[in-house]
Amino acid sequence: MILSWEVLPEPDLREAIGILVRVVETAGALIIFLGACWAFGRFVATVVRGRGRAEGFNRIRLTLGRFLVLGLEFQLAGDVLRTAVAPSFTEIGQLAAIAAIRTALNYFLSREIAQERAEIESDAEAEPGRPAGAEAGTGTGRRKAP
Amino acid sequence: MATAIEAAALLVTAAGVVVFLTAYAATRRIRTALPLLLDFLMAAGLMRLAGDLSWSGILLTVAIIAVRKVAAYGVAEKST
Repeated sequence: MILSWEVLPEPDLREAIGILVRVVETAGALIIFLGACWAFGRFVATVVRGRGRAEGFNRIRLTLGRFLVLGLEFQLAGDVLRTAVAPSFTEIGQLAAIAAIRTALNYFLSREIAQERAEIESDAEAEPGRPAGAEAGTGTGRRKAP
Repeated sequence: MATAIEAAALLVTAAGVVVFLTAYAATRRIRTALPLLLDFLMAAGLMRLAGDLSWSGILLTVAIIAVRKVAAYGVAEKST
């Protein structure tokens, strides 16, 4: 016990975990930001090329949703790390609230992505002369030919 | 770092508004345009929540998510 106290003093542990949390949460925020930038870029490209159709926009949302889910996973990892050094009930309560929000969001986003994907696949099936899973099923979010 | 995240979140919000207006102008369908705006707003809210451990930040994000779900439900109901 004394040895562990000397090797890993609590303030140092707190500081180290604080840095880790910041790194992981910043990575999550960065992923979400990059996803939003990417979605905006693709949106502009879609509109400029005159493919401003609802299905094209849905595909962009689908990919943005994937980025959001990935960013959320990182932020949840940060929450889990934070619980290691949460000193007060207030902080633990806030962590629980944030973790609950992020978990619920993750669930809803995953469900929306599955729904969106199913819609895109059924739209592709409805269109004659195009294979059903050619684009929607690959998950790469490529655009359809006009 | 918090300032940078706040600025990035603001940028994402602005991008969302531009996307919403352009999508609405292109399709004339609120059902297509509104979810795009709400997704961008949610991205901005999630970015703000990174590192911001305060009840006001949490409540703001919950409000955005609630508005998003209600609006999405309302628009879907209206279109059916």
